[in-house]
Order: sequence, then structure tokens, then C-alpha cells
Amino acid sequence: MTSLVPTSEDTVIYEFCILYPANLSQKEEQTLLKGIEEVFAEAEGKQIAKDAWGRRGLAYPIKKQTEGNFIVLYYEMDPTKMKEVDRQLRILPNLLRHLMVKPPKGYELVKYSEAFEQWQKDKVTAVETKRKDEESKLQRKVVEKAKRDAKRTEVKKAEVKKKEIPSTLEEADLSKKLDELISDDTLGL
Amino acid sequence: MDHRKQQQQQQRSDPRLKKCPFCLKETKYLDYKDYPTMKPFMDYFGNIMKRYYSGLCLKHQKMLKNAIERARFMGMVSYRK
Repeated sequence: MTSLVPTSEDTVIYEFCILYPANLSQKEEQTLLKGIEEVFAEAEGKQIAKDAWGRRGLAYPIKKQTEGNFIVLYYEMDPTKMKEVDRQLRILPNLLRHLMVKPPKGYELVKYSEAFEQWQKDKVTAVETKRKDEESKLQRKVVEKAKRDAKRTEVKKAEVKKKEIPSTLEEADLSKKLDELISDDTLGL
Repeated sequence: MDHRKQQQQQQRSDPRLKKCPFCLKETKYLDYKDYPTMKPFMDYFGNIMKRYYSGLCLKHQKMLKNAIERARFMGMVSYRK
């Protein structure tokens, strides 16, 4: 993290973002990079930082390309030469997009190639922690359910036992009564 | 009395009390390369959230718009999914 401060009053620090297709051959890529450097050399720009992002997927196809390489460059140069640089960058072959931005005062340089990786790692860890939380929750739920089921079965068993005891008594009563009825001579059976 | 209390709980907090998250962090510039910070203010289709929903102050909403439009131009964020 270094804040950008121009060395003299006449120059301004600019940020250039350049996008070129990922499927270029090595020769083409080198010539393209050389061309970009030449453009800035012509404008008497002084390179402050370079941040190559490498191969990235594009959010939408540009000139039928779905993948591209990003480079972020920081140059300190004369503001009057920006127009010429823009024109030259437009003319360069094999260059999909370029963006020129003047960062505000006190802008702190961040290497987004590293920040992006860190972000992706964070995302993965966040997903993992979420999954673990869910698993522990599920386990707790299962344990609670098992406990409840055990309780319920116990209660049911107790109820069944209670019910069974009177029924046997009734049976005994019934057999007794039947015996009495059968032994009764007054009824002409 | 209880009924009134319940009603108060159901009501949303005063929108004037809601503060812009970037103001709390004292953000001075939103970078178009910083996707993770822009992501929560875009919907599934890649639209920028309205200020009513994002809860940003006007200054930061404009910064956000600028940053997202730059990112869209460079193919980092889609115009329309």
C-alpha cells in the first residue's frame, strides 16, 4: 500500500487498465506489450507500478473473446499527452479495451491480482464454515429428535402397560362370571 | 398497551437513522477493480441497486455508479445477465 503522489506539479499520475485476448500466441503478445510500452515511451511517461492480473474470464464476450488478460499500469505523465496516448492505444491491434482513469488524491495502490486471490480464498473458507455450521446444526437436530423419539416410545410403553393390566383383570372377572353362570342350576342350560 | 408495543416492534426503523455504510468507513473513492465491495449493491441481473434499497448517500451512490459502469466497460461485470 503506497499512496500515489506526483513528483512535479506539471505531471499527473494516471491509471491505465488494458484488456487483451487470452488466446494470443506468445509472439503476438510480446509485440502487443512492446507496442504499449512504446506508446507510453513516446508520451514520456514514467512507469510507477504494474499489476498484471493474468488470465480472467470476461463477464460478456468482447469481439467473440470470452477470456482475456488484464494489465493495470500506473504512469506519471503530462496531461496534454493523454489524447495522443488514447489515440495510439485505439490503433493498436489485438487490444480489446483500455480505460484511462485519474485516481483521486491520496489514492492508495492496491495490487488487485493478489487481492482477488485472497478474496477467492476467503470465499472458499466462508463456504466451508457455513457448511460446517449447517452440519453441526443438523447433528444437533438429529440428536434432539432421537431424544424426543426415545421419550415418546417410553411414554407409549408405559401407557400400553397400564392398559394391559386392567384388561387381564377383566378377563379373569369374565371367566369367573361365566363359571358362575354355567354352575347356576336355575337357568335351564 | 401491549398491542401498541407490538406495533412499534413490527415497524421498521426510521430510515433517517440508517447510515450509509461507506460513510461509516469514510470511503473517499470506490475502485472499479474492487468487485467484492461493489457486489452487494448489484442484483442477480447485474443492475445497480436503487438508492432506496442500497441505503447509500448520494455522494457514494454516484461513486458506486461510476465504478460499476467502468467495470462493465472493461468486461469485469456484466451489463445484463
